[in-house]
Parts: sequence; structure tokens; C-alpha cells
Amino acid sequence: MSEAVTAEGSQTQAIQPRERRLAGFWRRFRRNKLAVFGLAIVAVLLLTALSAPLIAPSDPRAQDYALTLQPPGVGGLMGTDSLGSDVFSRVIYGARISLMSSLISVGLALLVGVPVGLTSGYFRGFWDEWIVMRVVDSLQAFPFLILALVIAAVLGGGLGYAMIAIGIGFVPAFVRITRAQVLSVRGRDYVDAARAIGTGHTSIMLRHVLPNSLPPLLVQTTLAMGYAIIAEATLSFLGLGAEPGEPSWGSMLFQAQAYLTSAWWMAFFPGMAIFFAVLGFNLLGDGVREALDPRTYD
Amino acid sequence: MVGLTRSGAVASLMVALLVVVGCGGGGGGAPQSNTPPGTLEVALEAEPPELDPNLSSAYVDRQVMASLYDRLVDIDENGKIVPMLAKSYDVSDDGKTYTFELEQGIKFHDGTPFNAEAVKFNLERYQEKDSVRSTELEPVKSVEAVDEYTVRVTLDRPFAPFLAVLTDRAGIIASPKAIEEGGGRISKNPVGTGPFEFVERVRGDHITVKKNPDYWREGLPKLDTIVYNGIDDENVQYQNLRSGELDLIDSIPFVEFENLQESGDYRVSVVPGLGYQGFYLNTQQPPFDNKALRQAVYRLVDREAIVKAVLRNVGGTPANSPFSKQSFAYSKESDSYPEPSVAAAKKLLEEGGEPNGFSFTYKTDPSPASQQLGQVVQNNLKPAGIDVKLEQLEFGTLLEDSSNGNFEALALGWSGRIDPDLNIYDFVTTNGDFNDSGYSNPKVDRLLNEARTISDEGRRKELYTQVMEILHEDVPYVYTYHSNTTTDFAMQLNVKGFTAYPDGILRLADVDKKQQGG
Repeated sequence: MSEAVTAEGSQTQAIQPRERRLAGFWRRFRRNKLAVFGLAIVAVLLLTALSAPLIAPSDPRAQDYALTLQPPGVGGLMGTDSLGSDVFSRVIYGARISLMSSLISVGLALLVGVPVGLTSGYFRGFWDEWIVMRVVDSLQAFPFLILALVIAAVLGGGLGYAMIAIGIGFVPAFVRITRAQVLSVRGRDYVDAARAIGTGHTSIMLRHVLPNSLPPLLVQTTLAMGYAIIAEATLSFLGLGAEPGEPSWGSMLFQAQAYLTSAWWMAFFPGMAIFFAVLGFNLLGDGVREALDPRTYD
Repeated sequence: MVGLTRSGAVASLMVALLVVVGCGGGGGGAPQSNTPPGTLEVALEAEPPELDPNLSSAYVDRQVMASLYDRLVDIDENGKIVPMLAKSYDVSDDGKTYTFELEQGIKFHDGTPFNAEAVKFNLERYQEKDSVRSTELEPVKSVEAVDEYTVRVTLDRPFAPFLAVLTDRAGIIASPKAIEEGGGRISKNPVGTGPFEFVERVRGDHITVKKNPDYWREGLPKLDTIVYNGIDDENVQYQNLRSGELDLIDSIPFVEFENLQESGDYRVSVVPGLGYQGFYLNTQQPPFDNKALRQAVYRLVDREAIVKAVLRNVGGTPANSPFSKQSFAYSKESDSYPEPSVAAAKKLLEEGGEPNGFSFTYKTDPSPASQQLGQVVQNNLKPAGIDVKLEQLEFGTLLEDSSNGNFEALALGWSGRIDPDLNIYDFVTTNGDFNDSGYSNPKVDRLLNEARTISDEGRRKELYTQVMEILHEDVPYVYTYHSNTTTDFAMQLNVKGFTAYPDGILRLADVDKKQQGG
């Protein structure tokens, strides 16, 4: 009986501050105009990706050799490319490829990085110090893009491999951030208390340590999304990403190279799409970070 | 991480800015050369890796070698073989003995005399196993210096392309003294009899040559200095031509071609090249071990669409044979192609047991033009239910996969040679060096072996036409276009005396550059 009361009591205590925290978070986030702008861009991007077939006026892969290199206006909203495909449709569908590949690659990084960082930071010891952190250090010694390029080159071309390459490139950052949070949390009183009443390691990690490590991970995830878009575009630009002809922003830029001086729209629109997508995720990430930062608590 | 993502955003902004800056360039000012008269700044598609003819395997090497060295024989602007270091030559009736009478009184850049011994020395050097030239001179049995200025070359069998081979690197005569002093290698100190002498090479940047004051051809060369700059991006070449930093460029962005020609501010030279592009179909494995499926692909490829969309109608002409109009083996009959027809293809698919179509992987190099070509082929084949998966490979890997037969379809062209034999023999004869399709047809072998032993061009052309008829039926390779890319150049108006050659090699002894406006 007394046990049930304690449990109930602790539950109500846990819920209230979390709700208050969420409301406070949203209030602080809203105050940051740039962050809201970022959120709006990301929302538009998501909507575009989801409803691409409804928005795009034509098949992004359709070619019309009679209508190549038509400027915007004459050849549709954003003109046509060197094979007579509609640039607007390709940019719209490109949002799908960009978002999908960044979601999958960041998801992969989370899936690998968080458990590794969590267990490694929680248990410490030889495994943590000498295996995990050394591997992470050596991975981080490579500039991110070089690492992704090497992985993509070893695995082979194609969007699937590019996503894996980008994902692996992100893993070290997620391991480090998770581990750092775990280290700061694992000595707290509530963790000691949980351990004292005999809670198992898995349960402590999942219920007490992980939830309190989430805010920096959320920030990192948002920022990584933006960077993954750049990375996908870069790999596709270098021929290690999307299959030629796929409406990826990066491969559109690649194809536009030869037409920079004569058909600016071929590079301009996918370039702008990448620019805004990355800007959106960065502003959103910065906004989330500031809103979660204890120093900005009011 | 935040810093990284910021730089990512900056990078994408720069892409956008680059585009905007690019658009601004359209207006342009009056063109003018910023380089001194007498000096020609040339852009080559790559920095030539090797200047020793014994070791050279890159086409671009030949551009600089043409200034440094002379060859035994050369070609004229129509691709006909003409004398050079050999002032005349005689071929015996059995086609096995070639006798060369050499020009007299010529000196190498190091002052040593050019004579029959020098020719013997060079040709024998090219025959050695470690020479890149050895396969080209494989039919040569012996080289003999008959007297000071007469050389006799004996072949072990008649080999009609022999003189054509000598117009390329195998015909270059370099200074024996320089070769001996260089330990058998003259990559760093190339010494020939050519119109220009080697001055310096700055790796990754340029090669400079200067006038040979004792050149044997009267009044030549006209220029004092040539600087060869390796610039692999055609847009960069083009922009530098417009800004006056370059006088002559070897790569023109297709899409700028007309503007450049119509502006009248530059001279544009374009002649059909000798090469071809297309793709291999692997006859050794499914799906293309099935002839009907190869024929179906052949009937769907829209060569005119390729030339229009990928080459902007200026980079080449549609092809259905390895012989361009520059070759005596060209015939309208063998180079013409059937109208693309989905109905005909579907019939062939049915015949081949794949009435609903099939899918295959098409390997290609990652250049923008090749990628787009792949996309057009993909689009051409789709209506018949043939699904093409494009796979781009780095050029070295592509070459490896090609020679190992590790592909279903693979796009790889050929820069072309003067003699038609060198455009077809090794590509379609059984076990030929470049027969990457694994194709074998005894009748083709017999006809091509016959064609390389006879010298009568009319008769050879007949044989090549017969071979093409068989190849159009068997389709081990789908020819798509004859490329102009090795043979198009743009230059400032004050560059005078330029002549285009079908092999695309710059012969700059006759070229001059006057003061601006001259």
C-alpha cells in the first residue's frame, strides 16, 4: 500500500515539471524569430516531399528533346534542363530524395551511436576508454566528408550506400554526445537511488540516464539532418550518390556544371533548394539548442 | 558540429552565388589577348603525363610531342599520309618491305645529326618489350640502315596500317645521344628535331617550349614560345579564353559553341574526328548472349536524340560504324542507322523470349556528358519495357571492368586512328585486345585479316562494308556517335595560320600570333 503511494507520488512529480518544461521550451523557441523561420522551412520541405506527386507538374524523369534548356517561364516555372526534363518537378522530387536520405542516414547514426555511447559511458572501463573512444577518435580524425567519400568509394555507388556512408560518418558525433551526457548524469543522486533499490542496468540506462541525455541529442539530430542533406548532395555531385537521372539536388548540380554560363536555372534552383533546406535545419537546430539551454531559462 | 553545419550552409550559398556570377558573365567586354605577341598560351584537356614517345599512353601527350619531335611520316589536313622526316618512301609489291629516303642536314636540338642510324636506334627501341609502342610495331621483323640517309624496314607479313602507325608516336625519331644520356629515358629532357625545343615543365601546371632556330623547314616555326597549360575543365578553359589569358583552347563547352562561333570575336575550328562512342554488349553472359535482345537494344537507341540533347548538335554526328567521314573506309551505307522503332524492338523481344522486356546494367564513366548519354539510352529503351540501370564508375575501374568482361553493357569509345584497321580490328576479331564484348565470328575475322594485308583502299573499303553488315546483324557493340571533341578548338582572332587535322593533333609550326588587332 505504502509502496503504491510512493510510486504514484513520484509519477505526478515527474509529469508536472516535464509539461512545464515543454511549455517553457515552446515559449522560448517561439520568441526566436529565426528559429520559427527555420521550422517553417523544414515544414514546407516535409510537405513538399510528402505531396511531391501532387505538386510536380510532370514526371521528373520525363525527357523531351524538343524542349531542352528552356529558360524559366517559357519552359515551366524553373525552366527545363539539357535533356528537356522539367526542373521544377525535379526540384520537388529532389526534396524526397534529400529528406529520405538524411532521415535514414541520421537514423542509422542514432541507432548505432546512441546505444554505443550509452553503454560505453555507463559502464566505463577498458571497453569505453580503449576500444570505443579510440575508434571514435580515429574516425573523427578524418574530415567528415573524406570519411563518407572513402566509405562510399569502398561500398560502391548508389543512394543506399551513400546513406550508409553518411550515417557512419555521423556515428562518432552521436557516440561522443551521448557518452558525455551519460557521464554527467550517471553520478547523479537519482541514478544512485535507482541503483540502491536494485534496478537493473538496462532499466537505469533506458529510464533514468537516456531521457536526461535527450536535449543535446535532439539538437545534434536536427543539425545533422541539415548536414546530411549537404552530404547527400555532395556525394551525388561526385557521382557516388543517386543514380544518374534520379532527381537528386546534388546530381542536378552535377549535370548543370557544363551549362553554368548558358542555362543558369539548371544550377540555381537545386542550389537554392539545398541552401534553404540546410538553412532551415540549421536555424531550427540553433533554435532548439537555445530553447533547451538552461542559461536561457526565464 | 555547429561550425561544420554553418560551413555547409556557406558552401551551398556559394554554389548559388557562383551561379549568379556565372549569369553576369553574359555581357562580356571586347575580347583581347593579354599575352605577348609571339607567345601562344594553349590549354590542353590535361597536363601531358609523359613526353617520352617510348612510354606515352595518353592522347594528350601527342599535343606537346608534335612540337618537340618530328615523325617519319605525317598526315595532311585530309588525313592523307605525307612525307616528313622521310622525304619519300617506297613499299614493295608484297607489302613487306618499306624503304625510306630521309631528309638530309637535319640536326637534333642537342646538335647531333639526324640520320639512318638514329631511325634504326629509335625503331628498335620501340620494339623492345617494355616499350608502350611494341604492339604497334609487332609486325616489324628488322630495321636496316642501308646508307647514311636510307632506311629499310622489313615486316614479317603485309600490314597495311604500318605507315599510319608511323604518323603517331611510333614514328617519332628522338636524339639517340639524349636517350643514352638519360639512361634510356627522355621524359624529363625530351630532345627531337621538332620546330620547338623543350624549356621547362612545372608539374601540375604547364610545359613551356621555345623556337628551334635551326629548324629544317624554311621559315618555320613562326612563334617564339608556346606554353601548354593543363586545364581539365572546359568551362575554365572557355572563361580564360574570354578573359584573354589563353590564346587557344582544346575543349569548348558544347552549349557555348554557337555563341562563340556567332560572336565573331573568336575563331572556332571544328572538323569531324576519327573516333567513335558507343557501348559494348557482353555476348558472353545473359541477357546479351541472346542475339535478339542485342538487336532489340540496337533498334531502340535514338542516335539523333543523343547528338541533339547531349552534344547540342555540335559535339559529334550520329554513327553506326567505327569509321567517320574522315576515313576512306567510311561508307554512307555502313554508317547509316535504322529509325528507332518500338514495334520492331518488341518483335525482337518476343523472338528473344522476353516479350515483356528485361533489365540490364549499363556501366559508364562519371563525366556529365556520359551520364546524360546514359540517361538518353535509358529513356530510349523504356517504351519497350527494357529497364536500364545506370552505374557510374571511375574511369580506371571502368576500363578494368571492360577488359575483364565484368559488365552487361558498358559505354566506352575510341579516340580514333588514321587507318581504319586500328579502329576495328582489335575490337571485334576473336580474342582481340579490345574485344570486350567477347564476340567471335569467323567470317568477321577472315574479312578483317584480309583487309589489313592489302593496300588498295577501294578494296579494303569493300571488305569493311561487308564486316559492318555482319556487325549490324550481330550487334556486339552499339555505335552512337562520331565525336568532334578531339578536333574542336577555339582561339583568339590574332592567332593566324591555324590548320585543323583529323587526328586532332596541334601542329603549330605554321601558326603565328600577331599584335592585337593584327
